[in-house]
Amino acid sequence: MHYESPIREPLILEDKTLHDITEDVARPIEGKANKWWWALFLFALAAFLWGAGCLAYTAGTGIGVWGLNKTIGWAWDITNFVWWVGIGHAGTLISAVLLLFRQKWRLSINRSAEAMTIFAVVQAGLFPIFHMGRPWLAYWVLPLPNNFGSLWVNFNSPLLWDVFAISTYLTVSLVFWYMGLIPDFAMIRDRAVKPMAKKIYTILSFGWSGKAKHWQRFEELSLVLAGLATPLVLSVHTIVSMDFATSVIPGWHTTIFPPYFVAGAIFSGFAMVQTLLLVMRKVVHMEAYITIKHIEYMNIVIMVTGSIVGVAYITELFIAWYSGVEFEQYAFLNRATGPYWWAYWAMMTCNVFSPQFMWSKKLRTSIGFTFFISIVVNIGMWFERFVIIVTSLHRDYLPSSWTMFSPTFVDIGIFVGTIGFFFVLFLLYARTFPVIAQAELKTIVKSSSSQSKNKSHE
Amino acid sequence: MATKKTYFQGLGELANNPELEQLQHKEFAEKLPTEAFLGDEEKLSESSTSRRDFLKFLGFSTAAASLAACEAPVQKVIPFVVKPEETIAGNANWYASSFYDGNDYASLLVKNREGRPIFLKANDLSKEGGITARVQASVLNLYDSSRLKEPTAKGQKTSWRKADRAIVKGLNAAKSSGKQVVLLSSSIVSPSTKAVIKEFASKYGAKHVTYDALSVSAMLDANKESFGVRALPTYHFDKADVVVSFAADFIGDWLDSGHGKDYAAKRNPNASPMSRHYQFESNLSLTGANADYRTPVKASELGVALVTLYNLVAKKAGAKLVNTPASGYNTQLQKAANDLWDAKGKSLVVAGGNDKNIHTVVNAINDLLDNMGKTIDFKKRSYLKQGNDADVATLLNDMKAGKVGALIAYNANPVYNLAEGADFAEALSKVDLSVSFASKNDETTSLVDYVCPDHNYLESWGDANPYTGVYALVQPTINPLFNTRQAQASLMSWTGLGDDFYSYVKTYWNRYVLGSTSWNTALHDGVYTSKATERSLTRRGSIVSATKALSKLSSDSIDLVLYSKTGIGSGEYANNPWLQELPDPISKTTWDNYLTVSPRFAKELGLNNEYVSNGALNGDVVDLTVGGTTLRVPVLIQPGQAYKTVGLALGYGRQGVGKAGDGVGVNAFALASDFNTTLSNASLSKVEGEVHEFACTQLHHTMMGRDRIVKETTLDAYQQDPRSGNEQMMLETHKGPLEPEKITLWEEHDRDVHWWNLSVDLNGCTGCGACVIACHAENNVPVVGKEEIRRSRDMHWLRIDRYYSSDMTEERAEEEEVSTIDKYLAMEVASEAESLEVVFQPVMCQHCNHAPCETVCPVAATTHSREGLNHMTYNRCVGTRYCANNCPYKVRRFNWFNYSENDQFDFYMNDDLGKMVLNPDVVVRSRGVMEKCSMCIQMLQKVKLDAKKDGRKLRAGEAQTACSIACDTGALTFGDVLDEKSEVYTESKSPRAYHLLEELNTQPSVWYQTKVRNKG
Repeated sequence: MHYESPIREPLILEDKTLHDITEDVARPIEGKANKWWWALFLFALAAFLWGAGCLAYTAGTGIGVWGLNKTIGWAWDITNFVWWVGIGHAGTLISAVLLLFRQKWRLSINRSAEAMTIFAVVQAGLFPIFHMGRPWLAYWVLPLPNNFGSLWVNFNSPLLWDVFAISTYLTVSLVFWYMGLIPDFAMIRDRAVKPMAKKIYTILSFGWSGKAKHWQRFEELSLVLAGLATPLVLSVHTIVSMDFATSVIPGWHTTIFPPYFVAGAIFSGFAMVQTLLLVMRKVVHMEAYITIKHIEYMNIVIMVTGSIVGVAYITELFIAWYSGVEFEQYAFLNRATGPYWWAYWAMMTCNVFSPQFMWSKKLRTSIGFTFFISIVVNIGMWFERFVIIVTSLHRDYLPSSWTMFSPTFVDIGIFVGTIGFFFVLFLLYARTFPVIAQAELKTIVKSSSSQSKNKSHE
Repeated sequence: MATKKTYFQGLGELANNPELEQLQHKEFAEKLPTEAFLGDEEKLSESSTSRRDFLKFLGFSTAAASLAACEAPVQKVIPFVVKPEETIAGNANWYASSFYDGNDYASLLVKNREGRPIFLKANDLSKEGGITARVQASVLNLYDSSRLKEPTAKGQKTSWRKADRAIVKGLNAAKSSGKQVVLLSSSIVSPSTKAVIKEFASKYGAKHVTYDALSVSAMLDANKESFGVRALPTYHFDKADVVVSFAADFIGDWLDSGHGKDYAAKRNPNASPMSRHYQFESNLSLTGANADYRTPVKASELGVALVTLYNLVAKKAGAKLVNTPASGYNTQLQKAANDLWDAKGKSLVVAGGNDKNIHTVVNAINDLLDNMGKTIDFKKRSYLKQGNDADVATLLNDMKAGKVGALIAYNANPVYNLAEGADFAEALSKVDLSVSFASKNDETTSLVDYVCPDHNYLESWGDANPYTGVYALVQPTINPLFNTRQAQASLMSWTGLGDDFYSYVKTYWNRYVLGSTSWNTALHDGVYTSKATERSLTRRGSIVSATKALSKLSSDSIDLVLYSKTGIGSGEYANNPWLQELPDPISKTTWDNYLTVSPRFAKELGLNNEYVSNGALNGDVVDLTVGGTTLRVPVLIQPGQAYKTVGLALGYGRQGVGKAGDGVGVNAFALASDFNTTLSNASLSKVEGEVHEFACTQLHHTMMGRDRIVKETTLDAYQQDPRSGNEQMMLETHKGPLEPEKITLWEEHDRDVHWWNLSVDLNGCTGCGACVIACHAENNVPVVGKEEIRRSRDMHWLRIDRYYSSDMTEERAEEEEVSTIDKYLAMEVASEAESLEVVFQPVMCQHCNHAPCETVCPVAATTHSREGLNHMTYNRCVGTRYCANNCPYKVRRFNWFNYSENDQFDFYMNDDLGKMVLNPDVVVRSRGVMEKCSMCIQMLQKVKLDAKKDGRKLRAGEAQTACSIACDTGALTFGDVLDEKSEVYTESKSPRAYHLLEELNTQPSVWYQTKVRNKG
């Protein structure tokens, strides 16, 4: 039996019993959606449809409808891709890494964090496909046996590594997430009264009956998958960073990128988890499970990773100066003082300065402030990718090719569309899936809930 | 002996049954009873096929036919039933021909594929003339969809016979009424055409008036005064050790397109000696950009500067001096005078503009320098420009007075390119009969009675006598595409000489030109040289009045200098989209003309250029008024421009010429006065609130202190150490300093067959842009239009980077302790006009042997060849653009849209006529794929296959690319670097050879040769 010091703050408040947890988790699924849900959903759906229209326009007319040019071959497309992949980092980190480190506070947030991961990776995956000039040939990046001749993919290309990294990550995250859902689906199934719902949840729960053998397998598989997923947390963004790090472009060709990108990804992932959960805990009344303590923990992660990112930025500047390479020096000077100085300073302000407020206990336990910072960090991390991609490309080696980038309505439309798509998925998830891993959460009711702590005081 | 066996098909045939024999010729054995069936009403009405059934059948067959039509359209290739002699599908034929349009002359070989001329190159048998970008692009004019397709009378279609009858009637009427018959043309160098005109003139008492849109009439007049003959000499830039040019853009549009290559021959630092070039000018011209010493001079002070030079030279020669005010450019003039005097007899002073006084003084200076008969040759004269401005003025007065009964415009568009164009248009209505030979609609054709469209020169017979003793033939390389007729044939038929100009030329040549040489030989060679010379001339006459007229300074006046661009020239080809999209070599601006204003003057006037968020350039707009004419023009701030002098390009503002040329820019001819393109007392007033959008292919103008991009040295330093400016770069490693190429993770490629290399001599490159157009023509490079260029999406596989020097350098920043940020900001600014230096650097795919693009493509669409080429497989490309991002030279071009068969890109690739110019050896790229320079792999394959068929090795110099062929200054040398006999091998071993961005160790197959300036 796990023993926890009574002075540790409880992770479940309001003296929730096991049954209370079941009721709380099942309520959004069994009840009706309120008008806020509908308003948000319709808004997200509209954005999604608009984005889908923009994507269709792009695929039908050509990449020329974006703002790209001969010098800047990637801009919002890959910025959005990296941004979404980064966001998709928190889920696996929370569920896998924190599982291995036995951080019990993960239990009430891992389900939603993982859902967010999967939905974010889905958004991310759209960009590498649709940024292609001929997206209908996207399957050519897969090493498929073919009759085009002896054509094979180029294993030297970081884009190909991306294909493997992202698809592996998506698969493992999906399996891990789904596996965790099985006991919870079974719980919903057992409570379901409508025949249709019962049928669906029966299929989804894979015949889970809560036998000891089931639980034993569940635990074992959790550990195995956590073991598999943990290196992926590091590998995905490492490989994404190699798209840039292995190139010759000043500002891209940087060995610091892998750790810096991973830290940045966790940073942005946690910010997005904050953004979502702060709203969700309110809307579906999960304040007892997603407590201030959880928020504080996440804020600490944001503060630490934000500082790591800050150190990375400064290291980049130092190395540029120290390298003595004029192109490198100019690239970084140009970031900070060139035509895109505002993007650089937006990035610096949002990512390096703003998380420092979290040193103050008062601020990091303030829900309003946390929400504000989480948005700021998301904006900052988008700018980070924009800065890396666009400001490096727009002034590289030969000044004759230097130019600028300006997005078109299609660029903006597609980005907005992915945000819409993401929220469509997340809102549907919040109404049909158990948003808290209740089966697992119940394991700490006896050790870490306010109920148990109060009992031990008595 | 083979016998022809026949087989019988049945016993009847074997037995020679006569009945059977009869039946064999019939389709049906018995007569079909159609008559009986259809004739019998009763039977028909009994037939079970009702009207409804009929409709069902009809419906079914329509549906079936439409379904069948849903397949992809089938384009049929039809084999020749009778194959024309010499034509083998897939093989090109080359025909010798000549180009002369009243401005440029070139002797050509025309590449003909399946009956279509698609590419032009210089005829090696001829040394004269030069293929400029305009000549190169002229092949596209043939396929211009706005060409006139038949004769018209007052805008209505008509037949040749009707038109001829009416015109002859009109001509006779004019003659009998005692009114003038005038043939107005640009310069004509064709002797047979002149003979035709002579016969025409004698029949109708016609007057032949010649004028040139870019007139040098004043120069001819000055020569008449100085030498007694109204003639132009030939200039020998290849013999001149010192060249001093007063605003003569001799690499651009001054007299002869062949000057560039002659000049370049002396720009080689190994030439003995390399020439030194001084340029005194107001606009920054292509020639000025190449000069060793360029002095920006206010246009109205150029005369004083010239007279001062005269005095400086005269002092050395001991000749009499003339009075003139002190010139502000004494230091530079003194230096030029010293160099000129030292190179006496081997120097050359030339001047542009159309001012007789200037040319008179220039003649005197050249005479003092003993250049006559040496670098200036009157024995071999140039006939390329014969116009007489005074005649045009007379004509215009006669027309206004109603004295002209008939006017025929031949290769002339007076309504557009005369300053008095509007007057001319009005006077034209007083002419009873007006005819134009224009092959395309222009400003004049819309006003004349009859348009008798001429053939394109690629459809015509003809000849040329561009210089004394030099003759050339023009032969058709395609059947006339439309119902047009050669202008000469029209004149002949009106004169009653028939309409067979071919026979006329042939007879003329056999009688007057060819000695013992046969016609066929001459036609094959395209050129024929006789030993004929003109007499040499000596200068006489005084320069007093000329110097007096020039010795005026008016520092208050704002001067305007009209100039012509290498692409558009006098505007004749304004509807050629290749030329419109060819960036101006200096401003790198496409699809526009604009007022060039010096940075200092612009600041004073509060005129601005600014970059918008996508990097494109916007400029303020001014109302420019000269001599009562006002034009609204955009302002482009031009480094190197003389203070208080503004420049404006001719050849724009065309109306009704077609989809590419209409409404591009403004017509600056309207501002000229008496053919004079240098004007004083201009006034500018800023138009508030109006902004003009420019489309530039290069937006950043300086090298930002990255001196290793274009390596430079001076001649003195080069002679002391040939590696000067090109010192071996070393990178610090833990093993000590190493050459970049020694540090590598890569495996070397096998190089055992060929290794194609291209060497770019930065001394040879004048920046003229002929290679760019040649690349378009050979490789089907799409035209994307102004809006796309503005979005930095030009598709040029080969671009010419132009960099200005900056007054801020690393050394100066260190000395003056300028902060790094300020240093870079200052480096973005081009030097002051006085110290401005310009370099041109052609950049194409560098075909890196360690190519950054190749490793990053996920689908291996770009790969390396065993012959050192970087291949691009369009079919395999999925369009991630990673290769382009990772290209340090930014030479890859992406197909953002479908550029062919797309009416959004209405230039030439979307119409059947325009598509005829496409090279069938090169695929037209679809949207979504990357493309780039292939080093003309189709041309390499061709020569390799030829050699293989002949069972021999490739000869050195046999393999060429379109750009290396087009470059007549010898700046581009292509070949196999494994072949030690090849020129490119020698070039690659030159101490001047370097790789662009060598420190990246991409190991390009393209070499650059250090730029050496003759500065001391």
